[in-house]
Amino acid sequence: MTMTESPPAEAAEAEPKAAAELAAEGLYAWLSTSDHKVIGRIWIRLSLLLLVAATAVGAAVAFEQVDGTDTDIFGGLNGYFQMWGLYRFGMVLLVVAPLFIGLATVIVPMQVGSSNIAFPRAALAAAWGYVFGAIVTVVSVLAGGGWGALDGVTGDEADAIELTLLGTGIVIVSILLASVCLATTVISLRTPGMGLAKVPLFAWSMLVTASVWLLTLPVLVANLVIVTVDLRGGPLLFGNPEGSDQIYSQLAWLFEQPQIYSMAIPVLGVIGSVAPVVAKGRHLSHATGMVLIGLAGLLSVGGWSQPFFGDERDEFLFVAFALVAALPVLATVLLSLVTMVKGEAPVGIPPAPLAGAFGAAGVLVLATVAGAVRVVLPLLDDTIPMIGTTADTAVLNLVVFAALSGGIAGLWFWAPKIGGRSLSNLTGLGVITMLLGGGVLLGAGALLASFDDTPDNAVGSFDSLTETGMTIAAIGSVLAVLGALGVLAGLATALRNDADADGDPWGGHTLEWATATPVPADNFSGPLARVMSEAPLLDEPATDEGEES
Amino acid sequence: MATATTRLLAPALRRPRTVMVGTLFAASASFMVFVGILALYLSRRAEARSAGIEWFPEGVIELGPSGWIFWTLVLASFTIQWAVQAIDNDDRPHAYVALAITMMFGAAVFNQLWFIINDTGFALADSEAELLFFVLIGTYVVFLILAMGFLVLTSLRALFGQYRYRQNDGVGAAAMYWHAVSAMYWVLWIAVFVTK
Repeated sequence: MTMTESPPAEAAEAEPKAAAELAAEGLYAWLSTSDHKVIGRIWIRLSLLLLVAATAVGAAVAFEQVDGTDTDIFGGLNGYFQMWGLYRFGMVLLVVAPLFIGLATVIVPMQVGSSNIAFPRAALAAAWGYVFGAIVTVVSVLAGGGWGALDGVTGDEADAIELTLLGTGIVIVSILLASVCLATTVISLRTPGMGLAKVPLFAWSMLVTASVWLLTLPVLVANLVIVTVDLRGGPLLFGNPEGSDQIYSQLAWLFEQPQIYSMAIPVLGVIGSVAPVVAKGRHLSHATGMVLIGLAGLLSVGGWSQPFFGDERDEFLFVAFALVAALPVLATVLLSLVTMVKGEAPVGIPPAPLAGAFGAAGVLVLATVAGAVRVVLPLLDDTIPMIGTTADTAVLNLVVFAALSGGIAGLWFWAPKIGGRSLSNLTGLGVITMLLGGGVLLGAGALLASFDDTPDNAVGSFDSLTETGMTIAAIGSVLAVLGALGVLAGLATALRNDADADGDPWGGHTLEWATATPVPADNFSGPLARVMSEAPLLDEPATDEGEES
Repeated sequence: MATATTRLLAPALRRPRTVMVGTLFAASASFMVFVGILALYLSRRAEARSAGIEWFPEGVIELGPSGWIFWTLVLASFTIQWAVQAIDNDDRPHAYVALAITMMFGAAVFNQLWFIINDTGFALADSEAELLFFVLIGTYVVFLILAMGFLVLTSLRALFGQYRYRQNDGVGAAAMYWHAVSAMYWVLWIAVFVTK
């Protein structure tokens, strides 16, 4: 091990201090902290609470769609469309992206050997911006806003729609600000010796994700600005929002391929971090892993594929992106599998982070294949539209639940460093199974319904194929709710346990595992030795001559 | 003796250039917001033209005032680099002067944009072209205000001695953001005013 350890007495002193700080964490600490771990926990806590709410909304929408002749749950078509939109924006912008930002805000600075995140005050502002934006978004939707209305259906409140757009904008700007902090941390705050090629795969995946978000989500902000000004001054561009779904249609590229894949890039980082540790060996090819994650990022840049730029969906680039997207994900899974086979693959019940990471990556492969089918089938047969049907929802649900399960796997893996507690393996396996199962059923049901040409936001009387698909999706939505509740139950159980977790229960390879548990304020108790490889804790101790403090 | 003095000097501070890197990411994101709006503007204009619809009435958009903004920003690019160079040389009086002149140029750009908006006589709700014109100019003004705010912050920190020749990241970062905002206008000028 190349770490420069603190004297034992000093380390022993640091641990109770950190534990006391963790226990004393409250509103004042949340408002004034510059500790990246506290900031990360703000993102994680709210995203998990909103996960329960979003999956519940998703279940209600799914049951509404099964019972197509009646729209009683939401009190009418307007309410249905508002909740249908809230589920999508909620799962992507309020749950999945914030969950990964929270995980990364806690873990990435430690992985790169830094004592803090870059621009901690900006990171705190981003976290609170997310909280504020989420509240504004949810309240405005409940007040009759949302992202427009179903075509030909009136009754929405234009003012509340503006408020929803504002809330969405605040959340996106917060995500962008957090992305700046994370990307800068990986670029500028790496410990000596850690070149970019030696950055741990999760930190690398977050750098790629943050870069993709910084290049594409501003285009969504541009859309929101134009839509809002059009609402105020017109409407001239998007029609009356109180009877038109043009606002949603303009913003929908966020939920479609290739852009939606950007939400799941960190899954490749999680699997790349977990697999070698569980296999107790080095990653088969760290450099290849980095290239594949970079390629996945490149293939998820999607700001260009939006209705304003015409119908690009039969263009070469759009089709090529859809066809190639599965390759880096599949290659990453294979690379991780070979890493496992070459190492010491676990016997018996697998660790929850490993099962979660592989399951998430597997579902992500399914999602990219479904995405390719969605694009290619209409080109082969004009009578199968796919795009604009429930196939859109299928790809969205598969990607979102893959990302979510990857995030939960990461949460279980890094729990000792995030909250100072280890989480139950069986609970972890249970919730990840439910979330992945729910996601697969939601995706499969929607994909089945798409072969009936069922419109994406349809509610009404359906043919038997669609009804079967909607029923499968409804069962999946129940599993998703149970999985979300299980995550909260698992965390609550761990918090009730007074015992601090083992500092390194997995025998980790990267620098976050060299910290004490709970992690002290400055992360490392002393200066770090020069990093020699991508797995510094597996390296032989360096000699004094080669050492750089 | 000279050798001994050299040995006594502290090594140069190896400060990570976090502010520069962070500003680069922030400037990229800002630029993408602007380019996103501009792309929608151009796509809508192309659609209107292909349908034979007049985008702006003839003679309403004049090249003169917008060209003055172009040249003002060119001058400001030189003065902001002057500030960076002055801080590099620990020449604080010149740095203050350069930062003040750059801010004055920024205020001049703001004034000229205000003139253009009044001169065109556009109203927000009259046509798609006018609405998108307002969105573009308004967004640009927001980024100009952000760049000027960054400059003010940098100037205050320089006045209080935070930025010196070994720690000049703040001024360099403000200059980088300023250049990005200038580049936005140059793109805007060509896309909206020159090729109207």
